[in-house]
Amino acid sequence: MDATAMQDAETVITKARLGDPVALEALYRAYSGPVYNLARRICRTTEDAEDVLQETFFEVCRSIRNYRGDGSIWGWIRSVASSKALMRLRRNRYRETDELDAEYVPSAKEASPGLRMDLEAAMDRLTVTARAVVWLHDVEGYTHDEIAEQMGRTVSFSKSQLARAHSRLRVWLGDEATV
Amino acid sequence: MTTSHLTMEQLLAVRDGDRSEPAYADAHQHVGECDGCRLELDRLHQRTARLRALPRMTPARNQFPAVRTRVVAERRQRRLRAVGIGGLAIAASLALVVMGRDLVQPNRLDAEQQIATAKSESQQLEQKLHDWDPQSRVLNSRAAVMVMEIEDRIADLDVRLAQTQESDRQLVLWQQRVGLMNTLVEVHLTRASNVGF
Ligand SMILES: [Zn+2]
Repeated sequence: MDATAMQDAETVITKARLGDPVALEALYRAYSGPVYNLARRICRTTEDAEDVLQETFFEVCRSIRNYRGDGSIWGWIRSVASSKALMRLRRNRYRETDELDAEYVPSAKEASPGLRMDLEAAMDRLTVTARAVVWLHDVEGYTHDEIAEQMGRTVSFSKSQLARAHSRLRVWLGDEATV
Repeated sequence: MTTSHLTMEQLLAVRDGDRSEPAYADAHQHVGECDGCRLELDRLHQRTARLRALPRMTPARNQFPAVRTRVVAERRQRRLRAVGIGGLAIAASLALVVMGRDLVQPNRLDAEQQIATAKSESQQLEQKLHDWDPQSRVLNSRAAVMVMEIEDRIADLDVRLAQTQESDRQLVLWQQRVGLMNTLVEVHLTRASNVGF
């Protein structure tokens, strides 16, 4: 970002903190894409991701007065988004525990060597928790400590979920090393 | 050097430079000496790169109007609490107000009575807005911005009202509030359209 753009961004944030609706809408325009992408990668359905998007910006509009400006605005919005997405997962898993949290067993066709799954399909096959951890850690750049805190779990839980996810992706994507 | 190949957890620790992982140094050394584990590590890096390169998904709908509606509704609730009425209490307080007004001549009203009148006008306007049911209607962006600005000013007045003891000052603030409420109702009634169904 160049100096002018940075200054513009600061002006928008200052105005948004005062509740200026135009500035709040500008924030939505700037960050709704990344928020939705994060939500969609964590949630199972587009409807859930859209709800998370709405929940996130509702919270942003209400709480931006409390944003102290330490750390980037995107870092703050993203933490709101990931916490809303994880909250949505917890709520949905409550209903769908058996279906979604059960260990995925590939069908004979999927498990047969030489038949690779595409990455999107493989991600969809992960349990919701494992997928959320992969996305937050490997793509969004959260640390295991941060994930553990957001999920209300331990650091070793986050680490083992990540390892479990990669072990499965490795097989489903046909990434096994042959030496 | 460890004899068996690395687990996924150890490979991840090496990839992330996670020295808190037990036997990190051994795992790191093992990768340097084992072709198989080095290849697994490369594939892990590649898989991570592919994850990061997945296409970005974009929302099909603009959610901001819905967000704005919720923000406005929440502010309205706060406003109603500020004038001391909430939902069902509105109708009852109005009935008293209307009766009271007929009995008192305007020129004989002292400050306290005038405040009561302004307060009741505020409540009537809140009721009118409540009956209009703004949440079932759509405002265009410009009108929505106006609504939010007026609501901010009302919220500001409510804060000042809560801090003011002196009745003359309170009267001025309440009268300003009535003016703003009138404008707010007018914007809603003239600028909104029904939700399309
Ligand atoms: Zn090895």
